[in-house]
Amino acid sequence: MEKIITIKNLTKKYGELAAVNNISFEVFKGEIFGLLGENGAGKTTTLEMIEGLRQPTSGEIEVLGHDIKKDRDLVKEKIGVQLQSSAYYQFLTLTEILNLFGSFYNKKVDAMHLLEMVGLTSKAKSFVSKLSGGQKQRFSIVASLVNNPEVVFLDEPTTGLDPLARRHLWDLITQIKREGKTIILTTHYMEEAEILCDRVAIMEQGKILAMDDTHRLMNRAEYPYTVNFVKEDVKKSSIEKIQKFGKIENLFGKNNHFIVRLKDKESSNKALKIIEALEPETLTLGRASLEDLFIELTGKSIEE
Amino acid sequence: MWKLFWANLKMIFRNHQSLRWALMFPLIFTFIFGFFFGKNTNVGTIAVMNDSNTEIAAGVTKTLEGTNVFKIQKEDNLDTAKDEIKRGKISAVVYIPEGFGDPVPDSPKQIEIIYDPGSNQVSSSISGIINSYLTSVNFQIQNSKPIYGLALEPINDRKLNYFDFVLAGILGLALMNSSVIGIGVGMARYREDKILKRITTTPIKGLWFIIAEILSRLVVNLIQIALILAIGCFFFGAHIYGNIFVVFLVAMVGAVLFQLFGFVVASFSKTTDTAQGMATAITIPMMFLAGVFFPIDALPKWLYYIVQYLPLAPILRIIRGVTLEGLSPFFEPRNAIIILVWLIITLAISSWKFRLTDE
Repeated sequence: MEKIITIKNLTKKYGELAAVNNISFEVFKGEIFGLLGENGAGKTTTLEMIEGLRQPTSGEIEVLGHDIKKDRDLVKEKIGVQLQSSAYYQFLTLTEILNLFGSFYNKKVDAMHLLEMVGLTSKAKSFVSKLSGGQKQRFSIVASLVNNPEVVFLDEPTTGLDPLARRHLWDLITQIKREGKTIILTTHYMEEAEILCDRVAIMEQGKILAMDDTHRLMNRAEYPYTVNFVKEDVKKSSIEKIQKFGKIENLFGKNNHFIVRLKDKESSNKALKIIEALEPETLTLGRASLEDLFIELTGKSIEE
Repeated sequence: MWKLFWANLKMIFRNHQSLRWALMFPLIFTFIFGFFFGKNTNVGTIAVMNDSNTEIAAGVTKTLEGTNVFKIQKEDNLDTAKDEIKRGKISAVVYIPEGFGDPVPDSPKQIEIIYDPGSNQVSSSISGIINSYLTSVNFQIQNSKPIYGLALEPINDRKLNYFDFVLAGILGLALMNSSVIGIGVGMARYREDKILKRITTTPIKGLWFIIAEILSRLVVNLIQIALILAIGCFFFGAHIYGNIFVVFLVAMVGAVLFQLFGFVVASFSKTTDTAQGMATAITIPMMFLAGVFFPIDALPKWLYYIVQYLPLAPILRIIRGVTLEGLSPFFEPRNAIIILVWLIITLAISSWKFRLTDE
């Protein structure tokens, strides 16, 4: 597979604090690569170093075969950037903003086509302040496409959006991917990474804790299988029986809702038999989520 | 870059609030000073109460009117007139008693001036004018000619008044305020909104961005200057003796200098609020110390020694030299040198410190 971005031993220090601490990874053509982590994990700093906005303390960055240190301007021509919570000009219409940004690349922009992509044609002559949060975010993404970039950087594209707006954005990102563009995004929503990203790197305190194809990464969880069930008044003896095969716990204090985490297929089959015998109200088989893995890796919940 | 220039212009004209501020503020000043000091230089209003119908008495009134120094209103009740002085409506009453000037021995021989001690400048000019009139009448009656006299020779024959002086000040003030605040606060807001950062993700060079910004604001400055001069000249009869294009040119240099000050402000302020404060801290003292409203050589020597180097001061000196006296902008090379030094200083600081991004 063609490498689009190659990062080697990248470090960024602010005084003594290493915001990004000796990380290396690659991004391949046509994939969606996700950088996951809490706020302050170093995702944005990493992204901005690749975009040429920040100077690395040490390490190498190659984008589309160009060393970012030497060919920064050349790289800027070929990438599209959506910044975390960046505003746009207050007194220009959406069309005017897109045309203006296109002119920065000496490119003619089909503003209407771009706005159509994100369902904002009716707002073509509005100011950004007239858009809702989701619309702003979609506009911000489409504004990063004015130069028809080969790589698109999206920094927390869905933070703060309602579920429906988030789904719209996922569609948009998928659409961009289908056009053959490579996407690198950051998020702190595990579910989003699970759905969107082909590959994922989990970051914490400037380091990459784990990186792999998303589905493989989830298999790495110590307890990859889960059984969810709801049943009133489960006897202590039954719980003890289940405990032989895996971990059982109440779901966030609901004493009729249980989640059982299991290490392998065999033990999960055995546990399942016991649970089915209890005749629970609902029963769901599942697998560990990225979030479960994340909690295992970092020892805490992302929502903290 | 021209697209950006054009977009900037659109934004400036769509941002009604700050445009109003940039244009209305100096115009309000122009109107206020114009109404107070424009056209005729009335020192104040005086009342004339003439109870006599002689030729000499009429001559007094005529002479007073002929000087064009005061606005004169007729009055026929002394008590109301006195009352108006107390209420500050008029500054003095000239009372000509009944029978004044009658060629009979016991007719009154004195004109009375009742005045507010707060405006003794007015009363002394009235008494001067009436005195000289009466002296000439006395000579006529005695059929003799004065032996000694005064010859008054004004230095230049141009009619200049305080309004002409202050109009140049308002011009400088407008340029300074709109440029320092416009660029300083505007750039700080762009930084806060991450618009500057967003622009650095594109290949456009920072220098072009800045040039587009400066050029588009110069257009606003041109409009400002044209409006102020037009209103000053056509409404309030301001005098401009020098070449108006030179005035525009000097003003443009001044505008660029203050825009650089704006970039300096933006370099040192992280937020819009600090930029606002810093811009005010630069503009307000200069408004009073650089000679916008009054000549700074009236200040104490040590203070004058310092404030004559404020960036606005040489700009105003040059503009006044051109408008009031029709001099070349380089009539005093020192002024051009001070401006040049400030241009270099601000350019150095802003190109060293002003960055579109944090790094």
